[in-house]
Amino acid sequence: MTRFLRNIALPVATLVLWEVLGRAGYLPDFLSTPSIIVSAFVELVRSGELGGHVWVSMVRAASGFVIGASLGVALGLASGVWTPLRNFFDAPVTLLYPVPKIAFYPIILLWLGLGDMSKIVVVAVSVWFPVFIAAIEATRSVGIHFIWSAQSMGASSGVVFRRVVLPAALPQLFAGLRVGLALAFVALFAAELMGSNAGLGYLVVDGEQNLRFDIMFAGIVTFGTIGFLCDRVLLWVRRRLLRGQLIGTAETAF
Amino acid sequence: MERARRHLARWYSIPLILAVWQVLTMTGVVSPRLVPDLRLVAQIFWEDLMNGELIHHGSYSLMRALAGYGLAVVVGTGLGLVMARSRLTRDFIEPIFLFGYPIPKIALFPVFAFVFGFGTPSKIAFVFLECLYPIVIATYFAFLQVPRVQIWAAQSMGAGQATVLWRVMIPSALPAVFSGLRIALPIAVVVVIITEMIGDTTGLGYYITFAAVSFRYPAVYAGIAAVAIIGFVLDRLFAVLRNRIIHWEGQRLALY
Repeated sequence: MTRFLRNIALPVATLVLWEVLGRAGYLPDFLSTPSIIVSAFVELVRSGELGGHVWVSMVRAASGFVIGASLGVALGLASGVWTPLRNFFDAPVTLLYPVPKIAFYPIILLWLGLGDMSKIVVVAVSVWFPVFIAAIEATRSVGIHFIWSAQSMGASSGVVFRRVVLPAALPQLFAGLRVGLALAFVALFAAELMGSNAGLGYLVVDGEQNLRFDIMFAGIVTFGTIGFLCDRVLLWVRRRLLRGQLIGTAETAF
Repeated sequence: MERARRHLARWYSIPLILAVWQVLTMTGVVSPRLVPDLRLVAQIFWEDLMNGELIHHGSYSLMRALAGYGLAVVVGTGLGLVMARSRLTRDFIEPIFLFGYPIPKIALFPVFAFVFGFGTPSKIAFVFLECLYPIVIATYFAFLQVPRVQIWAAQSMGAGQATVLWRVMIPSALPAVFSGLRIALPIAVVVVIITEMIGDTTGLGYYITFAAVSFRYPAVYAGIAAVAIIGFVLDRLFAVLRNRIIHWEGQRLALY
């Protein structure tokens, strides 16, 4: 019990302090107060405005993530087992990894316009990199003895891949997917901030520009919550798929 | 000879991709606005390097990234260590890092821009925030995983708290701490560029956006190339530094 109280102490204290100081007028306008933000949130939900923006952002994030992740997994696994492909991707991936893929956004915007497609592409590209790298590493780190054992028992390379390499690679693959998911939201938000006419990023910018800071915060909180929930869903899928594989490892909520 | 062959196998794809790019441009299959002539990109890169433009913006980005990253390293390793050693601190701040980790913090950037202003401070603060999470979490787990038997062994041989920390715990945790630091380094570069793209008048992120809105698309690629070079060099430097500090770990840092 005391542990739980300590756990929530700092967040609760921050909210209370924010509310009290805000009401007393000690805080600048752009910080609003939690109660005003909640009422803006309720109003946005009632009018259906928030739902619309959430839908737009979710469609973009989900399509981009699925495209980027499946290409990353496919090419990463293939590169993991086939050296020529790995050699081909090695240098460009190393060089482009620390470049924010959003830097290509102006070009993508020029190519695909302001609509959904430009966001989906920038999200997919952002997701692809960490997933691809994790997939290569995952395949490469499969114990060679497992592969030898399977082969000596007469398994074909197809069977070795499906029954040995893939299951052994899954935990690391999920680590990559998780990083990819986080980057998907970063890329999407930045893209919606820079050029968009719908979506949560747009709602935040719009609120900011119209000095409706309560709307801005409502958008920020919604975006954060969605990102958090998507991560939980991914962890849940991972636990289901890896049932039995995580026993004895230092697996916590991370 | 063998070494040269390995390097060739690893790097041949870059000239290959550039060659395909150039062929695409010269045959006019794709619009030169999307895929500009590489000679133009190289020329602009060279010009802006020589007239100091890229250096000016690049040093802003680099300074912000390193300042935020450095702060995050100091605060993050400290917090992670304290969290791993003190029950009370852990209870208070663990949920912030546990639940805060998957929250996309980029959404908070507009607020940061208001609080710290649009210039350098908001960028440094934001880089700090984004780098802090992976560093704290890596340090926290690194110190939790120090084998208890080793600590007991040291204590039974009469080592005091400080000795245990310096001679047992830190050497044991350092490799895992460094993998967290390495994850955070490209994050620092990425975050700086993104925030500069959202709103600023300095930095490579601004250089790229400004080139785009003035329809100088080859300059966009020149800016991207500059970011790639900075990121690559930082990562190499980090790998060298890490292998020097953690010399007892037989395994050297691989490519990724």
